[in-house]
Amino acid sequence: MFPDRRSRSFLDPGVLSRLAGVPFFARLPMMGAVSGRHPSPHRGSSVEFAEYRKYVPGDDLRRLDWRAYGRTDRHYVKEFEADTNLRCCLVVDTSGSMEFGSSGITKIDFARKIAGALGYLALLQGDAVGLSCVANGIVRTVPPRRNPAHLTTVFDMLEQTKPQNETGLAPVLHELAETIRQRALIIIISDFFVEPETLRSCFQHLRFRKHDVAAFHLLDKQELEFNFRRPMRFLDMEGGPAVFAEPNEIAERYLKVLGEYLEQLKKVVLESAVDYHRVTLDEDYERVLMRFLVGRTRSQGGPR
Amino acid sequence: MSFLDPLLLATLPLVALPIIIHLINQRRFQTVRWGAMMFLLAANRLSRGYARLRQWLIMAFRMLAIAALIFAIARPLASGWLGLTAGGRADTTIVLFDRSPSMQERGAGAAGSKLETGRQNLARALRTLGSARWVLIESTSHRPHELESPDSLLNSPETEPAGNSADIPAMLQAAHDYIQANKTGRTEIWICSDIRENDWNAESGRWQTLRDSFLEFPQGVRFHLLAYPQVAAGNMAIRVTDVRRQVTSDGAELLVSLKLTREGNGDSRISLPVQFEIDGARSEQTIEMDGAEYELKDHRIPLERSHERGWGRVSIPADSNLADNVFLFVFDKPVPRLTIVVVDDAQDARPLELAAAISPDPGVPCAAEVVAADQLGPVEWERVSLLLWQAPLPQGDSARLVQSYVERGGQVIFFPPRSPGNADFLGVQWESWTESAGRESAEGNEAAGIPVETWRGDQDLLAHTQSGAALPVGQLQVRRYLGLTGEFTALASLRGGKPLLARATTSRGGAYFCATTPAPRDSSLATNGVVLYVVVQRALAAGAAVLGNTRQLVAGDPLDSDPATWQRIVGPADALSTEYAFHSGVYTAGERLLAVNRPVDEDQAKVLPDHRVQELFRGLDFARVDDQAGSIGSLIREIWRLFLASMIIALIVEAGLCLPKLGRPPSGTAKPFQPAGP
Repeated sequence: MFPDRRSRSFLDPGVLSRLAGVPFFARLPMMGAVSGRHPSPHRGSSVEFAEYRKYVPGDDLRRLDWRAYGRTDRHYVKEFEADTNLRCCLVVDTSGSMEFGSSGITKIDFARKIAGALGYLALLQGDAVGLSCVANGIVRTVPPRRNPAHLTTVFDMLEQTKPQNETGLAPVLHELAETIRQRALIIIISDFFVEPETLRSCFQHLRFRKHDVAAFHLLDKQELEFNFRRPMRFLDMEGGPAVFAEPNEIAERYLKVLGEYLEQLKKVVLESAVDYHRVTLDEDYERVLMRFLVGRTRSQGGPR
Repeated sequence: MSFLDPLLLATLPLVALPIIIHLINQRRFQTVRWGAMMFLLAANRLSRGYARLRQWLIMAFRMLAIAALIFAIARPLASGWLGLTAGGRADTTIVLFDRSPSMQERGAGAAGSKLETGRQNLARALRTLGSARWVLIESTSHRPHELESPDSLLNSPETEPAGNSADIPAMLQAAHDYIQANKTGRTEIWICSDIRENDWNAESGRWQTLRDSFLEFPQGVRFHLLAYPQVAAGNMAIRVTDVRRQVTSDGAELLVSLKLTREGNGDSRISLPVQFEIDGARSEQTIEMDGAEYELKDHRIPLERSHERGWGRVSIPADSNLADNVFLFVFDKPVPRLTIVVVDDAQDARPLELAAAISPDPGVPCAAEVVAADQLGPVEWERVSLLLWQAPLPQGDSARLVQSYVERGGQVIFFPPRSPGNADFLGVQWESWTESAGRESAEGNEAAGIPVETWRGDQDLLAHTQSGAALPVGQLQVRRYLGLTGEFTALASLRGGKPLLARATTSRGGAYFCATTPAPRDSSLATNGVVLYVVVQRALAAGAAVLGNTRQLVAGDPLDSDPATWQRIVGPADALSTEYAFHSGVYTAGERLLAVNRPVDEDQAKVLPDHRVQELFRGLDFARVDDQAGSIGSLIREIWRLFLASMIIALIVEAGLCLPKLGRPPSGTAKPFQPAGP
């Protein structure tokens, strides 16, 4: 599975092997080129019966159900569900703020682990995997392919990417919505430090293009608790102005603003039907991914 | 506000400690690279309003707590009138104590007089303030007395009431001399007075000198005035204006004239019993008083024919000031009034002899003798009441005789001689004759004279009559006058400013210089004889007053005998014998009977306005407080407890502000979030 046999710091074979036991489903019908494990909007030749349909001239006579014709003296075509593969587009935020991490692991490291594992799992089941590293624009991108050798490219890109520049997630997501062909699984891994209202239009745009959108919202524990004691000078990791603050004075208001933001974001993702996962960096990424995969297994068979 | 340990106020900059700690704390910041700047910036934008105010309030209360602590240990005094004293205890504290009769006034319903209240308050305040040395200058002797402690003020006979007016400028001068002589360090001068105009002499030129000389002291002198300016409405004062003994067909009687004055406008009509006491025998007369003043003329009190000499007392019921409810007097049979007229030319003596010899009262025998200037030897000077001198000024033995006569209280009036010599008397010298430059009159035989332009109608020989009418001095015509040089006080001046009647400076007695003679060629003094007669008779009466065996004295006036030799008949029992001259009473000095009373100014003394008091101390370090007679509150008291309480309150409020808000919003920590369904 690893063509170059190199070990990657963000990949743990034990975790991958445990996760490989859980299928990785799309929640929406996908339009793959070959057969796979995901539902397709088209009727195909799988073993799962879908429906009977009246024969119309031009239909393949091989698919005519002779038994039905014998019982009813009418021509019916027996249709089966088509299983196809999917295109999994991993969108990793590589803005400056992704370098933050107070508990020994940075957000970008966590993002690499999630993206690497998901890319591996997708390719394992024959899905095409692509990667886009985005900051204030699309920094680097590789289109989805299902060639196992392609995984090396994706892993290399993940390994080499460095967090820098500002977050410009909204225009990037709009651009991706337009450039990725219809019906793909788009997994966004970011800290989402943008206004929730601007994200709403991005998610709706992706949904409009019939993409299945999943989001991993990475937050550090310190960002959530803001438990500083001494006066602090906060340097913006994205190059903005530094802020001097007395934590005693500002903590209360910071937490209030953060609470409002999370509440608003929650509302946005619920309304946009985004598969949203808030993740703190001190969590075990295996558990996070397991929760993600199991959740998708449960929701499979939704509206197509 | 003042402090007992003001040096500790030097630690006041410690109030800035919370700010300094805050700044140091801010400099000890940590730098952290931060991703979630959008929340931080939004929170920063919210940091206006109450949150910022709370921080400032916390800082202010911390500073307040430190300030209150410093103030508390500096031992603040609740007075408000001392001003901030710098440098702690004074080296010398001088107390100027006004003992005048007006200080014995009591407030409405108050038990203590102004004097007692002031004495107690001063003692208490000075005890609290502390000083290395205490000096008392009281209003009788003006001599500085060193006190052991402020408590000595309470039991010293030198702070008991006296009968004389205070002379505040003289007391300040004594304080100045004391500071200069003893080279004191930082000095505080405390004045306790009811700031009456007659005590303070605000118009006196001495104030300017005093101000300048106090400003010259390098060690700094602070003045504190403890003032009792309230005037008790309705206070009555009684004063005997005249006492005469006259013989009647069935014996003798005493004619007493008295004057009652009332404080305020006196709208209401009151009935007042006036008690007369003659050598212990009392009688009473009720008078109806309507207005501010009342005069009773010649109230007759029968006497035994043999009762020729004695003392008496008039009194009214007690009111707010006990010191002016009693007036003492002494009486005796009238002394014959002898006038010696010294003239060059006997013709000139005639008008003067007539003016002196005609008695205004049949009961008072008057006589005049004309002698030549060189025949003064046989004159019995101890019988002479008045000397009229119209000759060159005395020289040699004659001058010594006349001077000793003046010094024992005699009166002399000098008229200009035909030929003025070079001699001078008491520093005054005749110049040369000046004739009026007026044109001939219509009759052609008499030159129009120089009119009198100004004269002193308020006091001395040319004063207005008792009914207030002015003497006809303005009608006099002076055709020739002799100029005067030297040091004198002009009582009347001619047009052009030349003196017509002047008084030389004497410690006792009176020496007057009239610039013209009564001769018709010189003036109309003889033809328009009223002025001449009044002048001569007033001088005669003043001269006779010192000859009799009885004398009416004003407390505090200069004396010709030592009061220590006096025997008290009536008067304050606890008064020092050396101070008898300052206490109202009746005393015997050898054969003589003396009555000492308060000065006339004390009866209705006006209070000096506040701005005038401020002007008197202009440029000096001066603080004033108005107190009330009978006030029981201490002038100053330590109030460190108040500051400690303030500190505690400030700390509690600060702690309350520092407490975190109860309903803290949720921190948004990783709460499990259920992903949305497709």
